[in-house]
Amino acid sequence: MGKDTKKVSGTIDGRETSVPRGSILLRAALDLGIGVPTLCHHPGLPPDGNCRLCSAETGGRLVASCLYPLRDDGFVVQTRSPLVVEARRFVLGLLLSRAPADGYLLGLAGEYGAKADPRLADGADGCVRCGRCLRACRAAGSEAIALVGRGWGRKVAGPFYEPPIDCVGCLACAQACPTGAIAFSEEPRSIWGRDFGLARCGSCGAILGTPGELARSGVEVTLCPSCRRREYSRAVASLPPAQS
Amino acid sequence: MTRKTIQVTPGRCIGCLNCELACASRDWGQYFPVGSKIGLVFFSEGGQVPVTCFQCDEAPCLKVCRTGALARNEATGVIAVEPERCVGCRTCVSVCPFGNIAYSRAGRRAEKCDQCQGAPRCAAACPSGALRYVEDEEEAKARRRAFAESLRQAVTVA
Ligand code: SF4
Ligand code: FES
Repeated sequence: MGKDTKKVSGTIDGRETSVPRGSILLRAALDLGIGVPTLCHHPGLPPDGNCRLCSAETGGRLVASCLYPLRDDGFVVQTRSPLVVEARRFVLGLLLSRAPADGYLLGLAGEYGAKADPRLADGADGCVRCGRCLRACRAAGSEAIALVGRGWGRKVAGPFYEPPIDCVGCLACAQACPTGAIAFSEEPRSIWGRDFGLARCGSCGAILGTPGELARSGVEVTLCPSCRRREYSRAVASLPPAQS
Repeated sequence: MTRKTIQVTPGRCIGCLNCELACASRDWGQYFPVGSKIGLVFFSEGGQVPVTCFQCDEAPCLKVCRTGALARNEATGVIAVEPERCVGCRTCVSVCPFGNIAYSRAGRRAEKCDQCQGAPRCAAACPSGALRYVEDEEEAKARRRAFAESLRQAVTVA
């Protein structure tokens, strides 16, 4: 990656700031202590800009601040202009129509005067179609689920709407989901309509994870972390392995 | 900036568990042994040794993390978890050969020793000098060799 150390200056909500060229607007705003609501954004995952909750106004148009790079000197950004507030109210109405019981969205809806659209009640399955689960799955090294279908009927599912064959049951998707829409169980392990066996530590019997999860890590795992510590310490101390 | 390290001298460890207590109470506010990122390994032959993350030079956990949740502070050499970035895939837990990183269900993230960002409570709480936070001039390899040697002594003395 080319080093671009040049800085660009401008204002966010009237506050002067100077950031390395290409900085993401959301980051720049947060660094100034300006709160911007987000939903599809996850700090550890590639940005996707699909929920539009983080909208901000610059040059008379709306941009997704989680995606928008500050490239030019003299930028002027508003994160709470009438245009932004109106857009956010609209977006919140849609999101709430998907997840009417979500506490975070309800809080924002109260602040912006947004309401769920009763005509969309059939799609209120708790999932806001933000795709954080898909991105988490990919980051974890799998590609088990996808957003399938079109329009309001679009949903997250495995291929052919079947329980996803490539899922290893690591639960990263459920952890990344902002609304808790993904049903899962740690023990016994199940998610997306599939049940997974759990491998156990060869020494103490503690749960190691699902076989697929362990295989995906690329190393052979037979001991749990605390037994690994024990065996390692014994090896360094030239003691024979512990009898289990 | 000189890097600092938690130096372990097993022969001095008296098995008091103060280090575990100090570590666990940082994040949990109480003595919660499995929440401690330093752990005493007690040998059935007698003797014990405190074990925590070695902040490996070629860290397997760091290599597998695809969200940037695990990152090394280049100034200190310490690898820490940035919880907001962790998606809980647990790959790092599988690949640490020493078992020094864990997934916390309660915290929904990977957890490991970050040397308390420059003021490790374990070392401060250790009454016997088994854990000392010292400047690290040697190469990691030499450090590990010294550790192995002192471990051997600890066990033969005990
Ligand atoms: S299941 Fe959760 S993470 Fe996946 S798209 Fe829906 S709301 Fe987003
Ligand atoms: S958080 Fe930026 S578009 Fe969703």
